[in-house]
Amino acid sequence: MLTKLIGGKVVDPAHGIDGEIRDLYVRDGRIVAAPGDVKPDRIYDLRGKVVMAGAIDMHTHIGGGKVTIARTLLPEDHRADPAPRHGLMRGGCGHAAPSTLTTGYRYAEMGYTAGFEPAVLPINARQAHMEMADVPLMDVGGYVMLGSDDFFLRLLSSGAEQKLINDYVAWTIHASQCIGVKVVNPGGISAFKFNQRQLDLDERHTYYGVTPRQILQSLARAVHELGVPHPLHVHGCNLGVPGNVDTTLNTIAGIEGLPMHLTHIQFHSYGMEGDRKFSSGAAQIAEAINSNRNITADVGQILFGQTVTASGDSMQQHANAGHANPNKWVCMDIECDAGCGVVPFRYRDKNFVNALQWCIGLEIFLLVDDPWRIFLTTDHPNGAPFTSYPHLIRLLMDRSFRNEMLARISPDAAAVSHLGALEREYSLYEIAIMTRAGAARLLGLSDRGHLGPGAAADITVYSEQDDKERMFAAPDYVFKDGELVVEKGEIVKIVWGNVHTVKPEFDRGIEKHLRPYFDRYLTMNLDNFVIRDWEIEGDGRSNLLVHPCRQGASA
Amino acid sequence: MTAVTLSLKTTLRQRLDVSPLMPDNLAGRDPAEIAAIALHYGNRTEPVGHFFDIRITPDGDGLTFSPGDARFDYLGRGMAAGSIRVAGDAGAYVGYQMRGGTISVDGDVGIYCGAEMKSGEVHVRGNAGDFVGGALPGNRKGMAGGCLFIEGSAGDRVGDHMRRGLIVIEGDAGAYAGSRMIAGTIAIKGRLGPYPGYAMKRGTLVLAQAPAMLPATFNDCGTHTLGFLSLLFRSPVLHGRAFADFARRPPRVRRYAGDHASLGKGEILVLLPDP
Repeated sequence: MLTKLIGGKVVDPAHGIDGEIRDLYVRDGRIVAAPGDVKPDRIYDLRGKVVMAGAIDMHTHIGGGKVTIARTLLPEDHRADPAPRHGLMRGGCGHAAPSTLTTGYRYAEMGYTAGFEPAVLPINARQAHMEMADVPLMDVGGYVMLGSDDFFLRLLSSGAEQKLINDYVAWTIHASQCIGVKVVNPGGISAFKFNQRQLDLDERHTYYGVTPRQILQSLARAVHELGVPHPLHVHGCNLGVPGNVDTTLNTIAGIEGLPMHLTHIQFHSYGMEGDRKFSSGAAQIAEAINSNRNITADVGQILFGQTVTASGDSMQQHANAGHANPNKWVCMDIECDAGCGVVPFRYRDKNFVNALQWCIGLEIFLLVDDPWRIFLTTDHPNGAPFTSYPHLIRLLMDRSFRNEMLARISPDAAAVSHLGALEREYSLYEIAIMTRAGAARLLGLSDRGHLGPGAAADITVYSEQDDKERMFAAPDYVFKDGELVVEKGEIVKIVWGNVHTVKPEFDRGIEKHLRPYFDRYLTMNLDNFVIRDWEIEGDGRSNLLVHPCRQGASA
Repeated sequence: MTAVTLSLKTTLRQRLDVSPLMPDNLAGRDPAEIAAIALHYGNRTEPVGHFFDIRITPDGDGLTFSPGDARFDYLGRGMAAGSIRVAGDAGAYVGYQMRGGTISVDGDVGIYCGAEMKSGEVHVRGNAGDFVGGALPGNRKGMAGGCLFIEGSAGDRVGDHMRRGLIVIEGDAGAYAGSRMIAGTIAIKGRLGPYPGYAMKRGTLVLAQAPAMLPATFNDCGTHTLGFLSLLFRSPVLHGRAFADFARRPPRVRRYAGDHASLGKGEILVLLPDP
């Protein structure tokens, strides 16, 4: 079947196209070149509309243990936001930690066609995949969490050669069916269990004797040498701690040029100036990103209202548990290999700290020059639920709106922030880079995030409006792999997305080390730990898409 | 003022959410308008007229359900003023989050009666289910004010997470009465199930009979004469009922402090018989 999309204003930064009027052709789920005289089976008249690739959320907590715990912890979040069965949509609920179905529907209604779960614990990866498999209308993928697990820390502290670590990292990526590697509070989750309540970049883990700096270097090198496209995904030390801007700057310097992605960097950009010993480090962070081309970052913007923070960083979540609102929280160990902390949060615009956090996130967005290296996230649900993206896009694109909002927050915070003086307004082209082309490039998804021939036909069509929040909240059409799934805000077809992975090459000999380790220490047999392809594809809904690793990787 | 009477004319097969039927909501509406109000019934939505005959009498007051039904859920949910009377039973969540006014039920009620209510009065002549004056699962605060009066018996977990207000049970109560109480007062005249005051932080459980067991985390503080109890028992909210026989003299109680597995500032007061 051939579908023709006529006369849309195409914004496709991967090909440098900024608002050109073009026709697009879709056949068998792919965008194809103009097929000559063939008569299209379906035609959509997109004159006067903006056409972009489907949006990609490269950091969103949509599956796995934390999300399940957040849902369990906050039944009121679900009671207060029921989503009754409607049309093709089955019933669901939830605002900060929505049910899987509701997650998929709401993302699709905003024109998102892919989301990546950034904290897949290897031992819980199966559950994370099963949950993501239940998210309709979206492609998914995961970053597997390493760095506080005993096997890795043993390797590192015993001075194992890098090749062995590379093999372990690659084996774990395979076993957990992930597309990248994430490290959360490097070593800190483990150190917490040895009664350390803080672990700075060069502080030694009391038991293993290694430092976060060593962990980051070792993992970043492994990811790089294996040729995995997505650089090491780093949730750094000292999340949320005033003064952590220095740690973050040291982290950037300490990676010594290796590619590194710093996630929810807003939470890592706090200074200690002023009467309240809390200030913005956005300018320094943005300058460091601008001058280090190996660094990418997503912001993790906070927006005001009720949400829940769910993180693998049990050390910092434990430290923040006193701020829980409503007053209940969970911090737990996961099988001695990782951690988990879930703390509900209400960000208030009249609160100095929250208001300044809001400013800091926006300052980073506006001060980082290269939209290819900064990404639009709220670290859903930690900064705000993903449903607030249209609002966030408006804050970036509309300076007068931004200043209007700035006038409503804590005046003390507004007074110490430079946000009001920042004149930059993001263009549609830059938004498309951040949420499409850049995200796809960052993850190595060659057939997503653009509209060239050969790309998967994940397409979002908006009506251009002055109110960008309304524009991005309700696209006119959303196509997923060539199927029309959303029309005028209504879901018209349910399809199931793909699972994106990478499978770097490695030496199977690592299993000689792992098998006895599993038998002796872990709760699962090694053969059961490994997620096989059929487990993901067996239900007939999900397809595994394996993206190539960089050729000539030095492994 | 006018009075509205709703007479159930069908046999309910599903739970019926009657929360839209509140005095405030119905005031000034004619029968046809009331009949058109949509109610959730199981997984469907039906108009009021599908279930009820509607009668409006001038010179009356309040809303009456006659007869009641154990499938009426959310009766008086969040109501702020006025009165509802049920000639018969009512279901779960009677007076849930109510902020004022009065509800009286002639028969029995289901679970979560008066859960998270802030003010007003609920009077049940029959028995009540579990979690009287409690908090919904996951919520941190139960009843936060007002008065709950149960003439019959109540189920388990009376006053779970209760924050403020008064609960009086004239009959028996089940296990874990006053569990996780933050503050407030619960008075129980009949027998009590095991583990009263489980994890209570503050608050008072007044018992007319010695409980069969007390958790080990309560300390016996000896006997006392507490003046506030005679004031409480003479208070008009008790309608001269319930503990009236204790009100004639300064009540003497044995006091147990706990739950020391929690904050430990709560107390269980067991009224002592006349010497």
